This record gives sequence, structure tokens and C-alpha cells, in this order.
Amino acid sequence: MRLRNCLLASTLVVACAAALAQPAAAAPWTRGFVVREYGFAFRYGGRPGVAETAPAADCARGSATHFNDEAEMRTALSRQPWRSKQEIESIIAPPGIEKARLPTYVRFYVWGRAVSYRGWRKGIETYINPFAAHDPGQPQVVSKISDGFDLDGNPKTGGFTSTGGIRGIDNALYRAWGCDAPFRNPASGTLDLRENTQMQEGLYTVVIRISGNQDPMNDNDATVEIGYSPDKIVRDARANVAPDYSYRIVKGEQYTRLKARIRNGVVETEQVDRLHVPRIGWFPDQMGDADFHRGRLSLTVDTDGRAASGFVGGYRNWLDLLAENTFAQTGAEQGIRDHEDAVGLYYALKRNADGMPDPRTGRNTGISMAYRIKAVPAHVVDPARPAQIRRLPADEERNRGFETVKAAMIRAVTTRTIQDVPLGTGEGQFPAMEKTIADLPSRDFFLKTLDAPGRLDENGNVVEPSPKPGRLSALRARQGN
Amino acid sequence: MRNTAALAVFLIGITCASAPAWTAGSNQVVKLRRLSEQEYRNSIADIFGKDILVQGMFEPQIRISGLVATSTAVLSVTPAGFESFSKMADSIAIQATDEAHRGRLVSCSPRSAKAPDDACAGEFFSHYGFMLFRRPLTADERQARVNLARAMTRSSGDFYGGLRYGLAQMLQSPNFLFRKELAIGGKALRLEPYSRAARLSYLIWDTTPDAELLHAADTGELNTAAGMDQQVDRLLASPRLEAGMRAFFTDMLELDTFDTVSKDSLIFPKWSAAMALSAREETLRGAIDLTLHQNGDLRDLMTTRKTFINRNLAAIYDVDFSFDGEWMPLEFSPDSGRSGIVTQVSMLSMFSHPGQSSPTKRGVALMDIFLCEPTPTPPANVDFSVINETNGPLKTVRERLMAHATTPTCASCHTHSDPIGLSLEGFDTIGGRRLMENGQRIDLSATLQGKTFLDGPGLGRYLHDNPKFPACMARKLYAYAKGIDTEEVDASAFRTAYQAFADSGYRMRTLIKGLVESPEFFDTPAAVKEASARQQALR
Amino acid sequence: MPIHRRTVLHGMIQGSAAVMAVPFLDCFLDGKGQALAATGQRIPTRFSTFFFGLGLTTSLWVPKKAGLDYETTVQLKPLEPFKKKMNVFSGMRVMVDDNPNFQHWSGNAAIATGIAPTKVSQFDSKTIDQTIADAISRGTRYKSVAAAASGDPKHCYSSLGGANTLPAEPSPLSLYTRLFGPGFQDPSSGAWQPDPQVMLQQSVLSAVTDERRDFMRNLGAGDRARMEQYFTSVRDTERQMAAELQRPDVVAKVAIPAAPGEMPVNYALPNVRAVTPLMARLGALALATDQTRVFNLAISEPGSNIFVPGDPLGYHVTTHMEAIDPVLGYQPHVAQYNIYSMELLASVLKELDAIPEGDGTLLDHSLVFAYSDQSYAKIHAVDGIPIMLAGSASGRMKTGYHIAGGGNAVSRVGLTAMKAMGLSVDGWGKGSMETKSAYTELLA
Repeated sequence: MRLRNCLLASTLVVACAAALAQPAAAAPWTRGFVVREYGFAFRYGGRPGVAETAPAADCARGSATHFNDEAEMRTALSRQPWRSKQEIESIIAPPGIEKARLPTYVRFYVWGRAVSYRGWRKGIETYINPFAAHDPGQPQVVSKISDGFDLDGNPKTGGFTSTGGIRGIDNALYRAWGCDAPFRNPASGTLDLRENTQMQEGLYTVVIRISGNQDPMNDNDATVEIGYSPDKIVRDARANVAPDYSYRIVKGEQYTRLKARIRNGVVETEQVDRLHVPRIGWFPDQMGDADFHRGRLSLTVDTDGRAASGFVGGYRNWLDLLAENTFAQTGAEQGIRDHEDAVGLYYALKRNADGMPDPRTGRNTGISMAYRIKAVPAHVVDPARPAQIRRLPADEERNRGFETVKAAMIRAVTTRTIQDVPLGTGEGQFPAMEKTIADLPSRDFFLKTLDAPGRLDENGNVVEPSPKPGRLSALRARQGN
Repeated sequence: MRNTAALAVFLIGITCASAPAWTAGSNQVVKLRRLSEQEYRNSIADIFGKDILVQGMFEPQIRISGLVATSTAVLSVTPAGFESFSKMADSIAIQATDEAHRGRLVSCSPRSAKAPDDACAGEFFSHYGFMLFRRPLTADERQARVNLARAMTRSSGDFYGGLRYGLAQMLQSPNFLFRKELAIGGKALRLEPYSRAARLSYLIWDTTPDAELLHAADTGELNTAAGMDQQVDRLLASPRLEAGMRAFFTDMLELDTFDTVSKDSLIFPKWSAAMALSAREETLRGAIDLTLHQNGDLRDLMTTRKTFINRNLAAIYDVDFSFDGEWMPLEFSPDSGRSGIVTQVSMLSMFSHPGQSSPTKRGVALMDIFLCEPTPTPPANVDFSVINETNGPLKTVRERLMAHATTPTCASCHTHSDPIGLSLEGFDTIGGRRLMENGQRIDLSATLQGKTFLDGPGLGRYLHDNPKFPACMARKLYAYAKGIDTEEVDASAFRTAYQAFADSGYRMRTLIKGLVESPEFFDTPAAVKEASARQQALR
Repeated sequence: MPIHRRTVLHGMIQGSAAVMAVPFLDCFLDGKGQALAATGQRIPTRFSTFFFGLGLTTSLWVPKKAGLDYETTVQLKPLEPFKKKMNVFSGMRVMVDDNPNFQHWSGNAAIATGIAPTKVSQFDSKTIDQTIADAISRGTRYKSVAAAASGDPKHCYSSLGGANTLPAEPSPLSLYTRLFGPGFQDPSSGAWQPDPQVMLQQSVLSAVTDERRDFMRNLGAGDRARMEQYFTSVRDTERQMAAELQRPDVVAKVAIPAAPGEMPVNYALPNVRAVTPLMARLGALALATDQTRVFNLAISEPGSNIFVPGDPLGYHVTTHMEAIDPVLGYQPHVAQYNIYSMELLASVLKELDAIPEGDGTLLDHSLVFAYSDQSYAKIHAVDGIPIMLAGSASGRMKTGYHIAGGGNAVSRVGLTAMKAMGLSVDGWGKGSMETKSAYTELLA
């Protein structure tokens, strides 16, 4: 009690801590947490229970509606001057589709192939080469309130104020992507739900350990560790994340140890050049290190230590973010299903990038952002034996495919030279569409007109370049999604 | 150590008994015990190998005076139960004679795989009859199976098909499903050697006698004190003693109760079927480790802070799990409020309600389990309304219970059993620790039989120092071994063994050895009591 | 017509010409079948599965009230005529443990086997219908029969384990040909023959009974009574087998129709709607005439491609593409597709309920296990996949209940179904889904 009063009353914290060094050293403590909710810190402006698409304080016109219907498709395809009106209409309503055995997939694949080639000329794969397509536009967040951090220590930049009244919050990713439908409302946004469901089902586990020497609610010399655990999240009989279970923390590439201060249960860490934490994802392909620059973490812990919530943030390379989102499946699949356009997301990132300037060009390669965290108490332990991140062989294969596509996209954008889509990867699915439309009466028209990542011979076999056999199973696994 | 080759010769050489004791008219079956599920499974695994699957339903068992083992001498087989035994028998026989297993399990080769071969079939049935019935077959018994197999081979055109049906027949025979303990007449009834072998083996290893033990029965060794001593020492020295004592502790600690325990998932979502299995395993591991691996004082079960936990239990005990294997040893800290078996999740959760703890259930169960003091059943017209009113002015379970227990008709029983339960109120219904209930600090004090103690560890010390506890263990082991009612065991029956047990510092092996080597263990006074009225009522 | 032992044994057991001459057969034939007739012939209990993809919409199908007399929800409305003849299970969980949650697969496989699959498109054990068929299909012409209403023989979630599924008949015509084409023998035509396996088992039991005299020797009165009970149980089982040797009691008054013509069988909803009841009717006739006792019907694969003509997206794509309606709070088109699934289930139940049998209908002598692959298909959730059990399994299943699963493992439903089908199983499933707790309150 005396300790707490002292800490609260005094601004001369150092002197105070020194005066009470004895009792503080006598009470080392540790609190662990396992993250039960993890996602982009996008502050939803609508009322709870209302769908993610509706207009609200954050997004004046609601969320993005790319490829939502035939009209949206017509708009998207009309941006390519090289497409004839007949071609556009045929894509939108493939002639004879009612005769195909799988009409819904025929349309899905035809649309998918069409939106994957929206360059300034024919033959440019859009998701690998987004710079070569017209900006379809992406609605931006108009709200002035945001979660996150004042990363640059300048209250005049960032343009957001936190709910706690802190000015200069830097969360440019929120401004850029906050109106993207699948991330807009944590309660119903598809990808937000999906990645949290997958995390709770065991795709990945994030753990946090806070330790100190004084009092868990007020400590000037605390340490925060955050990292990946190889142990699956345990859910209780009501399907919530169960508290008090043990989790190992792996001190690998997604591990960070930070100094922190705790005031009244609010844990604020130091800001560090590189902060490594697991990134969000809903497929094994996407999983990996978030790699924040100038990162920090803030967590509010309940008095009894039974709950914690907060944020971890910093600047991230915006091309990494684009790749992680676009190539979770394919750009087209993500687009048509979830109504987001990775080209629009690309330009939005480019416009809003606000950090990590390239020393040579001066262009910002990073964007300020944060993940929101909700956590329940857990025992976070050091592994007794070396522990590794759990990954199935099939996941490794998919992850390699993801990295190949990502590398191609980054090469394209940074060198501004058109890159081919690597075949046999998720993005380079081929000849999936060609097979799907085999019984479509207007098949020949599409085979002739639509661009393709590869070529088929007269027997329908892939000639050039042939997909690497190892990638095929990854491809097949993907088709079930 | 006996030569295994000689044993093999002995087993193959078994044909049929020349003057078998079990056919003599003047003798008496002193006990007829139905195999328990675990005994059945262990026996099949030992005789045919662990890769033979045993799938099916076993008939439910009941607990009589604290032991399920006692009911094995009372229960029979229902039509549904027999149907299941019959299907399991066929499934085991199919596996044992299929192409994958016959090379290992059928010792001879028929002249033709499509025709009867009485010699080979006879050898097969002699061997498995001996192992399954735990005694040699009579010539008639052997011939009956050979005849059956011959007819079946003829109809199916498959020699092994004949073996299959003959084997299936033996597996559903009462001679396998029941352990028949036969005593030889005279002034006192003395258990004949094969029955001795089975009683020893099922007690100490929870399984059918192995070849060496059967051989000792065959040669008459088991009728001599030296021969018996040698075999008992061999059985006790084997790691398989663990299986035997696991079965005993499971029965004695009523761990089978977990099969029917359910918790309110709204209030206690942490509970799960996996948690129940973990809790049961914790208790068994701890008991085996202390009594066998450490060869410790059995009474320390009540006070030790050492236990074994897995990841699930760590979440209830709120401690770190090391992930160094599925299980880890744990020593609770002195201020954890935990020591001894009575503070384990198993004991706390089994004897509680789905949504709240029950001092009465805990008290009644623990008095019976550890002190052999059963509590009479409550009168039919008892009014429980006070206890169940959780929203009233009485905040804690203790207050509500006290209000109820002051009723004169209830008081005598509650005074008997409640103190134990009240001292455990620091644990909720799934065994989690708590200090408050509905905002009020919980009173953990208790007075029992003139002794006052506080909380779970206090209860543990009380039981540790209570001589009734080790005496109750000895009584239960005796009743368990012989399949008799705990309450009907005369204290004189295990007095010598108990003394040796106490002298050894309460070592489990000493107790077992003392019991089985005491003269009363295999001998029965000539006038065997008919089943008690209680047993009769259960039929 | 009495069964002639020589005709029975000749040529029936793997072509052997030998005649069995064991005593039990004489006993069996002494009464020329009359003794057996007195034991009563039984109408067998049948098992069916109905698979539908993509689940239902939780807010529209789960009744608020649990137990009897629950309210009929929007999506259960099509099943209202059968409400008193079925049970619905909400809130059951699929626990994947250390295995991945394979989208559109884990839920399906877990419900069918009680085990979370370790590989996509593979079952880690025999599916429930095959386990049940092992127990109930002795002596029938087909152990099980499957049909796929959208025309793909791969749409069958019945397996002996692994990646192979038992192929489904992809059209009403092929189903008809299999059941009632060449090789079909009407059980009322006199050509029915008993299963020789049963006779061999009977002789084994007879040999057990032979041990009675020896075993009773030296027993005290109490033990003697216990063994009387044991040998009575043996005789009960013998009697049951004797009943199995009787010609099945086909009490249903059914006529086998002419073969259906060729018709389009694909994902278009109107076709699925025409084909499903027709396949169900053929299946029902096969069950009624004891051609099989297990009938599996799938209206699509998991991740259903069924579509309403004119809907460019179809069912599966809609579940992913359609936004949640801000006012309604759910995906309206998906909700409509959900209802189509329930209408198709109702059409199947209607066919089973249309065949009178004994004092009830074929449905009353059946258990229909209906289930899906996802609960909220938009995000591939597997908690709360809808499951229904229709029919009272010849009175062994109490019906009319909504069981609110409260996060219990889906395997509890399978275990309950197996127990209702009279299987002697004590537990089912693996890992967190291993259970010994059937819903005993539903078992009569």
C-alpha cells in the first residue's frame, strides 16, 4: 500500500523505487496470458449487431463493394480499354452457362480470370503487378478517432485521437483499409471472424508474459514478452478460450522481450526498433512474423489479472501487408468472395504510407498500424526442451508457394517491371478455369479471349511453363476452400 | 527364473487332467466371480497379444460395501450382456485365427488347410483351454471342442474356421467368463492349486495366471509354503504389480465414479471428459508411485504434497505445466492448501454436485472409503429446501447445511460425516481452490470424533494419524482379493497381516504378502456361509 | 414353407457339398419351424443417413426452448410434419484436437466417425452407417446402399475408413437397377434363404449350453441361481438367432414400380428436388423388402454446389460472397438455400413415412441420421453443425426433442444413434470427442 501511494504520488519515480528497493526486490511476480482475439486495430464505427457493409461514423458510404454484382463487375472490367463491350458482357454472363454442369463455378472462374488481368494492356497479371492496373478506388476512413499508438511522438501527425484523448495516433492502415468489408466489424467481418476462428481452432497461438519485481498493478521495472506458442489454444466446455492453461513461449523469430512500466494496471512498453510478433492469418500460407518497426505494446490488465486487452503496433512494410492479405487464397477469390480489390488496397497503402522511408528514394515503405489484443490468463512457460512452431509438411509446401508469389509481386512493384505469375502456386492456378469451363458451349471464346498464366496444347495439356509437381497438392488442397 | 523353453514344453504337453479335482463330487465351489471388464481385457491381451482388439459393451457393475470387486461374486450375465460377450468372443476368435495371427497363435499346422485335423485342433484347444479356463481341460471338454471344430471345418471347408468357432465357444463359456474357486473337502476347505493361482494372479496382476504360475499349480508347488512364497515374491517383484494395484486403488477409491460425473458447464466450463480422465490418472499415478515405486508409508497418501499432473490438471491447480512429456511430477507449495489425496481434483469432484460442492457427499464418501465407516441413508421425507436456497440470507454451504442439520432426525448422521466435507469447502465442485463463497470467507474448521482440524491438509493429517485408516485399507484389500463383503470380514482374518503391515511402516507389498500368505487366505472353515441376506436381495 | 436343411446347406457355404450333421440342426428342424415361428418374427430396424452441405443459419434454425414442445423455427418449418417423429441437436461441437480444421471436411468426417480427420477427404475409421450395418445387415442382400441426388457417385460419406468411400448410385435409374434389376428376389416369392453364418453361430451357442451340467456341479444355491440366469441368457441369444433364420417378415404392402426413365441429375435445384424423393422412395422400397437395412442419401457434397437456376453464384459461393443483411442480421440468400436442404430432408422422411409396416410406418422402424459439414459456412465454423435423428428405431428412440448440445461433442449423437440401433457399444470417438455418454434420456 505504501509502495503504491508512493508511486502514484511521486513523479520522481527513480528516487522512490530506490528508496523502496528492498520490498520491491522481495516480490518478483509473473502474469501470463494467451491471446483469444487478435486482429487489425480497426475501430468499427457502426452500432453493434449491424452488418459490416452499412454506412457509419467510420465509413461514410459503408464498406467497399468491389465485384459485388454484375454492375460492379462491369465497372471493374470497363477500366481496361483493350476489352470490347462484347467481351465484358460475355464475361459477366457467359453464353450457354445454363448448360454447364457446374454453372456457378464456371462463372466464378471466368470472373476470377477476368479480374486477375486488369493491366493497361492484355497479359498482365494484376495481383502480381498491381501498379500496372488502374486504381479502382478504396473508400477511406473518415473518423477522427482511432485505436493504436502515437508512434512518432508527434501529436500533430497521424490525424487520429484515441478514445483516451491521446492526440496524434498513427494508424494509417486503419485509414487505408478500415472500410474494407471483411475487416470492418470484428463481430461479423468475414476475415476478422475467420482468422480468429482459425486461431482458436489451433492455427497459431500468441502468448504474452509480464513480469516484474514490485506489484503487478504498478511496477516501474516490468518486462513484457510476446511470442508464438507451439501449444494449441484450449477451449472450454462453452467453446471459449479456457483460462489458466499452460503454454510454452518459443523464443524464435516471432519473440520479443520489452521493458515496460505499469501504472494502475496499464502496461506500456518501451518503443523498439524491431518488434517481432506473430502476424494474423487464416491459412498456414500466411503465417509468420509481423516485424513491426518502432514497435510498442500496451495492455490493460484487470485488478485480479483475469483479463487483459490492448494493442501491439508499429510500422510495417506495406508490401508485406498487401501480400499477406491478397495471397491468402488468390487475389481473385478474395476479391469476388469478400468484395475487396487488392489493386484498390495497393493504391490505398501507397497513398497512406507514413513511415520507414527508403533511404535512397525517400518513399515511405512502411505504414503505421496496430493489432488489437484480447487475452485470458495463462501460464506462460519456457520450454523444457527446444520447441518449434507446429507446421504440417503440407503447410510448408503452401508457405513456399506463398513466398514465391509474394517475391514476384514485390519484384514487380519495386522494379516496375511486369512479372509473370509463378505457376503451380495459389495465385498461379492453371488450368483450373480451363477445366471448369470444359462443358461450356462458349468455352472456345473464353479460351481465346481470356489471358492465362500458362499455355495448353491441342490435347489440353499444360505446355509452358509446366507447374512444378510438388506444388500441385497444395493447389488441390486449396481448391476445397 | 524358470526356463521359458521348459515352460513352452509344459504348455504344449498339457492335454487333459487325469484325476481332475474340479470334477470330484465332494468338493465345493467357494466363490464364483464374473470377470471384470479390465480382467477380461488384460486376460485376452496376455493370452492372445495386445494387438487383438476387444470391442464391445461390458455389463455394468455395482458397488457393495465400498467395493465393486464384491459384486463380481454376486452378479450374473443378462441376455444383453451375453449377446455382447458372444459377439466379442466371435470377434476375438476371428482375429486369433486370421491369416495375420495364426502363424503366431496356432502352434501346429494342419495336414490340409481345408480339412479337419483332430490332432492339431486338439493341441490348439488344449493350450487355449488351459489358458482361458485357468486349468487343464478334461478329456471330454477337449473332445467336445475337437468335435465342434471338425463339424465346422467340414461345413466351411476351412480348418481355421473350425478353430475359430471352437475358440469362440470357449470365450463365451462360463468357464472363462467366471472364475470358479474350488475348494477340496475335508475338515477345512482348502482351495485347490489352480484356483489359488487365479486368485493370486487377479489380485496381484489383475490378469489371468501366466504359464509359470499355472505350472506351479500343476506341480503342486502352490500347496507348499515355500512354493507359495516363491511365487508370491515373483509376482510382487514384477512391474505388473502396478496393474494389479491400479485395479485395487481404482476400486477402493471409487474412481469408476468418474464415468458418471458431470459438471454444469455454464458455471464450470473448465470441466471436461478429458479433465475427469486426467484426475483419475493423477490419483492412480500418485498412489502407485508412493506405495510401489517409492515403497513409501501408505498413510503418507494423506499428507504428501507430491503428485503428478498433466496440462489439464495444471489449469485447475493453477500451476505451470512443463511440457516435458504428458505428465510431470509436482510438489505443491506449502501455502497451496493442497496435500494428500483428499485435496486432489479426483476426490473433490467425484463427490460433489454438478454445480456446487457438497460437504455431505464428500464426507459420506471419504468416511466410507478411508475409514470403512458408512453413513446410513437419509430418511425418505427429508427436506432439502434450506440447503438448496442459494439466494437466501445464508451465503455459504456451511451455513445452509448447519441450518438443515440441526433437525434432530438429521443431526446424528450429519455430525458423523459432515466435518470431513466442511474442511474441504476450500475447493469448489471441480476441485479448484477458493477462499470466499458469495463474498464471505469460508470457515474450514472441523471437529471429528473429538479431534479438531482445519482445511484439506488438516483433514489429511487427521486421517494419516487415525489408525482406522490403514486398518480400513487392509480390510478392503482382503475383501477385494476374496470377493467378499467388506463389512463381513472378521478382523481376525487379517490380524497377522495387518501387524506385519504396521511393523513394516505400512508398506503395500508387505500387506499383500502378509494377506496372501496367511493361512486363512486360501482356506475356508468347512461350513461356508450362504450368501448374506444383502447379497440375496441384490439378486 | 419349411426350410429344408439340405437345400440350405448344399452349396451355400463356400460351395461345400458337405452336409452338417450337428445336433442343433435336428433341434432346429424337429418342429419344422413351428417352434421358431412362436418366437415371433420381427420387423428389422433400419438405418439411413441424409447428408446436406453447408449447414443452416444458427439464428434461424436453433429453437430457443430445449426438450419437448420446442418452438418450430423458420428453418425447421419444412420438418414440422415430422416434429413428433424426430429429434434435433444444436450446439454440438467438433473438437479437432491436434488436427487441422479441414474446411468442409472435418465437420462431416467427425460426425460420421466421432474422430477428427487427420487428412482431408479421408475418414480415420469406419463411418457410423457401416458400423451399424455390421451389426444389423446380416442376411440382407446388400450391406448398405447409397444414392447421390446431384448425380456424382463420389457424394457418399460412407466408408470403411481411409480415402475410399462406397460409391453412390448417381441416378434413380441406376439405383433402381441395382435394387430391383437382375438378381432381385422378392422376399414373398419363396426364394429367400437364411444366412449360413447364423447357423454356425447357433451351433457354438448350443455347445455353450452343453457345458451346463458340468458347470453346475459343486455350486452353492446362490451361485446356482446366478448360473441359471447365465444359461437363460444363452438361450435368449439362441432364440434371437433362430428368429434371424426365419424369412424376414415383410409386412409392408408394397409393389415394386416400373423402372424410372432417364432424367437429368445435377446440381440444379429443380432436378435435385425431383430426384431426391424418387431416390428416397426406391431406398424405402429396398428397406421395406429387406434388400438392405442401411440406406445413405446425400443431396450434394460438403460445400454444396446446388444452385437455383438464374442464381449466378450457387449455394457454396453465396455462403462466402453474400454480406450479412444489415437489417436481418443474416445472409438472406444463404438462408433460403438452407431451407431447401430442410425441404429435401422432409421429402425423404415423407417417403419413409408413407410405407405402412406393422402398427406404424417404415420411418417408425428406422433411424435417419441427418447432418451437415459446417455450421456457419461463411467462415467454415464447425461448432453447432445441425444434426437430426428421425424415426423412433422401432420404439427404441424417444422423439420430439430438441437437444441443446451446450458444447458437447458431436460423437454423443452418433453413440446415441448406435445404442438406439441396438448395438452393444460402450463408447465412441477419439480424443476430446471420445465419449461414453449417450443421450440416455432419448433411449427407450
